[in-house]
Amino acid sequence: MISPPPARENVTRVLLQWSKGDQEAAARLMPLVYDELRGLARRYLQNERKDHTLQATGLVHEAYLRLVDQTATTWRDRAHFFAVAAGVMRRVLVDYARAHRAAKRGGALEKIEFDEAVALTPERHVDLVALDDALKDLGAFDSRQSQIVELRFFGGLTVEEVAEVLEISPRTVKREWRLARAWLRREIVKGETNAVNE
Amino acid sequence: MPLTNEHWQRVKEIFDAVVDLPPQERAATLEKNCADDTTVRREVESLLQSDAQSDGFIENGIAEVPRDLLDRHDDDSAIGRQFGAYKIIREIGRGGLGTVYLAARADEQYQKQVAIKLVRRGLDTDDILRRFRNERQILAQLDHPNIARLIDGGTTDEGLPYFVMEFIEGEPILSYCDTHNLSTTERLKLFRKVCAAVTYAHQHAVIHRDLKPSNILVTAEGESKLLDFGIAKLLSADDALFTVTMPALRVMTPEYASPEQIKGGNITTTSDVYSLGVLLFELLTGERPYRLKTRTPDEIAHAITEQEPTRPSTAIARSTSTPLRNLKSLRGDLDNIVLMAMRKEPARRYASVGQFSEDIRRHLEGLPVLARKDTVAYRASKFIKRHRLGVAAALLVLLSLLGGIVATLRQARTAQRERVKAEAISGFLQGMLNASSPDSSLHARDLKVKDVLDEASKRLATEDLSGQPGVKAELQRIIGTTYFSLGQYDLAERNLTAALEAQTRIYGEDSAETLMTLVPLATLWGGAKGEYAKADKVYRQKLSPLRAAQKKGTISADYLITALNGFAILRRAQGDSKQAEMLLREELTFTAQVSPASKNDLGVAEAVLALILADQGKFDEAVAIVRKKIAAIPQTKGETPELCAILTGFGSFLMEKGDLAEAEKNLREAETVYRKLYDRSNMQLGDNLRLQAQAFYLQQQYAEAEARINETLEIYRSATSPQYINYATALVVQGLIYSQTGRPTEAEKLLREAVQLRATNMPETHFLRATANGALGEFLTAQKRFPEAEPLLLASYESLRKSQATNSPRTKLALERLASLYQAWNKPEKATPYRASLEANAKSGVSGPAEPGKSEHF
Repeated sequence: MISPPPARENVTRVLLQWSKGDQEAAARLMPLVYDELRGLARRYLQNERKDHTLQATGLVHEAYLRLVDQTATTWRDRAHFFAVAAGVMRRVLVDYARAHRAAKRGGALEKIEFDEAVALTPERHVDLVALDDALKDLGAFDSRQSQIVELRFFGGLTVEEVAEVLEISPRTVKREWRLARAWLRREIVKGETNAVNE
Repeated sequence: MPLTNEHWQRVKEIFDAVVDLPPQERAATLEKNCADDTTVRREVESLLQSDAQSDGFIENGIAEVPRDLLDRHDDDSAIGRQFGAYKIIREIGRGGLGTVYLAARADEQYQKQVAIKLVRRGLDTDDILRRFRNERQILAQLDHPNIARLIDGGTTDEGLPYFVMEFIEGEPILSYCDTHNLSTTERLKLFRKVCAAVTYAHQHAVIHRDLKPSNILVTAEGESKLLDFGIAKLLSADDALFTVTMPALRVMTPEYASPEQIKGGNITTTSDVYSLGVLLFELLTGERPYRLKTRTPDEIAHAITEQEPTRPSTAIARSTSTPLRNLKSLRGDLDNIVLMAMRKEPARRYASVGQFSEDIRRHLEGLPVLARKDTVAYRASKFIKRHRLGVAAALLVLLSLLGGIVATLRQARTAQRERVKAEAISGFLQGMLNASSPDSSLHARDLKVKDVLDEASKRLATEDLSGQPGVKAELQRIIGTTYFSLGQYDLAERNLTAALEAQTRIYGEDSAETLMTLVPLATLWGGAKGEYAKADKVYRQKLSPLRAAQKKGTISADYLITALNGFAILRRAQGDSKQAEMLLREELTFTAQVSPASKNDLGVAEAVLALILADQGKFDEAVAIVRKKIAAIPQTKGETPELCAILTGFGSFLMEKGDLAEAEKNLREAETVYRKLYDRSNMQLGDNLRLQAQAFYLQQQYAEAEARINETLEIYRSATSPQYINYATALVVQGLIYSQTGRPTEAEKLLREAVQLRATNMPETHFLRATANGALGEFLTAQKRFPEAEPLLLASYESLRKSQATNSPRTKLALERLASLYQAWNKPEKATPYRASLEANAKSGVSGPAEPGKSEHF
């Protein structure tokens, strides 16, 4: 028997508890997944050459493979896992971006930019901290939209996977995504303008 | 800023309604929707404006994580430190649990370099430390020239254990082979050295579990050295699957892990056999064994557990990277050896690494090897097991199977025993192909199935089978019948005809092979293709040989049953319901004899019989059959496709009888079961919905009818081609609904399309051509376009009068349509003779259905 990562048994067990209706399971899952993603990201970055790019999608899927005993779980558990992992990615990345921003005394104007895969135009960068803030605002009055963005953007889930996680139709996901995106973009641009004007 | 919840809901609704409209239409819609509420309107407009600029915004997610994320060099402190007699010089690698450093003897007595592996800080839990020490113990026992040696070990000041190992200056095995331009033979010999090292470890009860090219270095002297031996076992506790050692890999991959490792099953020495198989594959071809698109760990894991590896000879043929071009030497033995080592089930691999290596030696010395190709039958059964639900994707495997079966059949040239086997294989293939037909309970995506078939017939055309014309014909027959079940009638006919021609030439006119091809061909001609004369000829000439062959046991009873059924339906279509009845009764008796268990098959035949009896006006007997069958339904075994067929069949019979409510009930019941059993795109569900639409149409419930016919057409369009016999019928139904609900332009378009399809696909005399013309004529009559309607209705009646019995509902309907035309046209004198014919029919003593002929509108 291959020895699983130390957390593997735990994660699988917690997932199964979740499926059986244990609502607090998500909270217990979070730190387990957090440690794993953090560790994975570190190992990638420390061991790879410069040309390496670290894909969020890859991280989440890989963490799933490592942490979950797939013989014991179903697609539902998989959906749950991805939901948590997307939230974790958001925490890991935003924490980092905040720390980085704090470290540079430039403050709000100093932005950490994330190159989107094969970015075609320089506009396709997004300030993670601003996005995180805007997402929180959005979540305050439309939690489903903010969840959709979290899953797609931070978790790298496809429309179909998001639909599976939230148990809604892919069409709804697409519709909500479009509006959420328009809203977020507007808020972030507004924030930038304010920052510059201050 | 955020609006109230209520506002936001309105914003959402309006945004969704407007966002896809062309800009010029937006304003009007906005005006209409929020004239009363400027707050909402302003918000929507602002969001629309933002949407217009949002293209690409956060669209791709976090593609790249910043390089310096979490990049703390907490282990750097080790550099310069001393462990025992050794001083750390620099870091040379990292694994999940530990870091490897280059070190040298601190006393510099002699310049000996070593590698030191140290547990990483933060991972020094009791459990890990215990296992780390255990592994050091294991490694200490291994003393082999092809394994990196353990030199020393100790504990740091902080109490962390470390190993001191032989430092290997070498190149990873793959790049070594390429830079030194090693030939296939040299590669095999080098590989056997690796095998020797692994065998040695196995003899010491150590399983490596992480064999991969980066763990195998080759020194300048050409000696292979296995690294991380035993440590891999420890590391597997944490990350055997994902240890990063290959900097070139963009994503860390578990590609060398065995299926049982991926699944968390039992790891044995044969797991190392598997990993070595992957390594050998790569050594020989320069390629990876699985064809992957994204290389995500998910996809890789799936490939390892489910996908059959490419044959090495195939991989090398398309490889661009390998300097090796020795295709010939790979084909055969080496293909078999590699694939045997890489089998999914540990028990079917080589029993040991020693045996694996020995087989390579035998190959090198030109001796016969142990490795055999997986039998096609085995692979097919695996395939079916794995893909019970995902046939479309899985059928891709068919392509490789087809290659396999051809080869197998080719080998089967002589012995009778082999011939039997070949037939079994072909049965398998056929079963598999049929399993993907829309009639089966599998969820088929027909377009893809068709792609596979197209590819298969293309291959068949290029495959050199000159020595085996019978094999080629058999495959054409299989492909033809599968096209048939997909509604690809032209392709079906082409393949079946080609098969028939070859088989007649090879085996003779009434041979079993020929008969087996003729039966589906006749079904095709008599049914979908409407080539009555051709079908009729086949049935008349071949029923006797079929009966004889069945008696002798050279063909299965199914062929005779199908032929009887097909002939019966043909005779019915030709208006000879008497003979149709006789044939069906023979079929029923015969089926009951040969397979008394298949009650459901009988049920379907009985449903047809009921229809035929109804044609003859023998409604009492027909109804008796129906009642008996319906009463027996609870006893038939559960919710099966056959049950659906029976219910649908009776629904269609009841409709013909004019009992629309009862028809609807049966059809709906069948629909419920269909929806449970099938994917939405199942054609039988489509047929069922079409019949329901007809029933609703006849009851003038046009909205209900329209909903169903729309779904029917959706299904037909996704699952089949316009050639499908009921596709045009569905167009007629939809056309007539449109006509009744005031959409004449659309109605005419649909009806003309149906007429066109019938004209293209049916012979002149076919009643379906006549009924389509009749429906268009009826529509034109309703539009008062009498001169246009007249020739259509006259031709329709003439044709039906010839092909159908006088009291056939279709003939009656044609008469009614003509009478109505002249009535509406104000030419009552012309209507008279048709009315007279109708009355003569009614008086002829045949008790017609309650509402004669109504269902034959279509």
